[in-house]
Amino acid sequence: MRRRVFAAVLGKELLDNLRDRRAVLMALLFPLLGPTLMGVTLEVHGRSSRSSADKPLELPLLGREHAPNLAAFLEENGARLLPGPADPERAVRDGTADLVLSIPPEFGERLRAGRPAPVRLYSDRSRQQTQDSVERARKLLEAWSARTGAQRLAARGVSPVVAAPLAVESVDLSTPESRAALLLGIMPYFLILALFIGGMHVAIDTTAGERERQSLEPLLLHPVPRGAVVAAKIAATATFASVALIETFLGFGLLPLAVPMERFGFSIRLDPGVLVRCFVLVLPLLFLAAALMVVVAGRARSFKAAQASMSFVVIIPAFPSMILAIMPVKLERWMLFIPGFAEQVLFARLIRGEAVPLGHAALTMGATLALALLLVLAATRLFESEKIAFTG
Amino acid sequence: MITLDDVHKSYGKVKALRGVSLTVADGQITGLLGPNGAGKTTTLRIVYGVLAPDAGGGSVDGRDLVSSRAEAQRRLGVLPHAQGLYPRLTAREHLRYSGRLHGLEPGALERRIEELVGFLDMGEFADRRTEGLSHGQKVRVALARALVHDPANVVLDEPTSGLDVAGTRAMRALMRRLRDQGRCVLFSSHVMHEVSELCDRVVVIARGKVVATGTPQELRERTGSPTLEDAFVAIIGSEEGLE
Repeated sequence: MRRRVFAAVLGKELLDNLRDRRAVLMALLFPLLGPTLMGVTLEVHGRSSRSSADKPLELPLLGREHAPNLAAFLEENGARLLPGPADPERAVRDGTADLVLSIPPEFGERLRAGRPAPVRLYSDRSRQQTQDSVERARKLLEAWSARTGAQRLAARGVSPVVAAPLAVESVDLSTPESRAALLLGIMPYFLILALFIGGMHVAIDTTAGERERQSLEPLLLHPVPRGAVVAAKIAATATFASVALIETFLGFGLLPLAVPMERFGFSIRLDPGVLVRCFVLVLPLLFLAAALMVVVAGRARSFKAAQASMSFVVIIPAFPSMILAIMPVKLERWMLFIPGFAEQVLFARLIRGEAVPLGHAALTMGATLALALLLVLAATRLFESEKIAFTG
Repeated sequence: MITLDDVHKSYGKVKALRGVSLTVADGQITGLLGPNGAGKTTTLRIVYGVLAPDAGGGSVDGRDLVSSRAEAQRRLGVLPHAQGLYPRLTAREHLRYSGRLHGLEPGALERRIEELVGFLDMGEFADRRTEGLSHGQKVRVALARALVHDPANVVLDEPTSGLDVAGTRAMRALMRRLRDQGRCVLFSSHVMHEVSELCDRVVVIARGKVVATGTPQELRERTGSPTLEDAFVAIIGSEEGLE
């Protein structure tokens, strides 16, 4: 009888919600957001990092007449000097200039006296996109400073090498894959978000919505085991969520075809094997999300109240991603028992092409499944209480 | 046959029922009459198993309301106070859903649906989504759903509320037909002339207690009143909440 009731309720909920434009749009349109956003980010990032390296450095210069020598050096080394604004602080603050180099009148005099000659470089550190230019200008100034210093030492008969006790060489070990992994960091978040958003409308419609339509009472006066009814509602939610999830996976899988990333110095290899492993890893979380949403929406007094609580539920999976984005976490065993978090950590590894031990995956899936079952029990208890059928 | 035996029910501090006992016989229409807030809906909800009694009990055709809830519910057809239809499903889909929940065989279910569409004259809107139906049509869909499993007992909570004259007359005719088929029909109402016209037996309920039972004739004679309405006022001692 349980199976019969489960099938009847599941069939009805799927039919009913397939006719609901909002439910279908949530499941079908939202998952496109992640891959689209990442595609656009890659495109823009790739374009800007390439273009800024090729472009000459545009440098507004104030007081050029006080340091013709320095100005000539800057121009020789690829800077395009522009006449500086009268008020450099204001120009940078307003954003009319990315940076301004200002040379005070005493520059020449101090330089000739062999004392440090002041120059001022105005910039706004909080403006990310100007950092490249500022960095380049600073490097040029330091190069000129070092060259002038070396000339002074040579003039005094000292080898300039003496003044350079350190020879720092930086060796960049980032690979196209690891550079790409940085960007791929947002992918686990979108996968997990899809689980929640895809089924959200169905979870609300089949619980708080059913009560608001007053159709829950007619349903519960049938001779049906409440557990089977709840299980079917969770399954309907999970079905819509899985459509969203599969679509997200396909979107990310097909992304390299749409955005030719090698051109930008990235290489993203999301081979089908990795995607399939990610999908299997996330299945228990799919049920957990569906059960959690049915519990939360089932407790809400109305459709609107359910939507409000649901917006909090959707934020929960964002936390691990934020933490992981700010500070890379070394994987500890206990983390595997945190549903949602563990999945995102393991996702990130799989995507970077690192191996995930089978034991780790099993622990994570087991912990998530256990919590999901607890939530199913909570949902069943909720539907067994007699308050569930009536509003207010 | 439906029985309740000394049923008590409270919502928090509010005592809704304070010892309700009644017996509803097969082949009769029994009216549960009472002013608003007397406990009619609570009584019916306990009968059809979405509320459990705090104390006391009852049965449907001998199946206990609490320990054999599913068995009791199987023998009941219920028209709740709100129709509670799904706006995106058609009338026929409602009947199919209910029939499947009752465990009817697919073939028998489809035949039964056709029968009910004819019986309740639903042919012209049976395949339309219920969101576009009139109130009277929605009530018919809800009633057809209540009858899909051919129950021996039918419970209707304020079945004529919101219906126009034609709809009300049709509903009354239908209740008589259900009685004539030998079913046990229990309905609640606060409309006096409806009860006196329709009922074989009346159960008067006020402030959570049964205050009188009998045929309309008996109630009039017992109170020495010319009409059921006067009898009713004499019994509950107030005119509040009546129509």
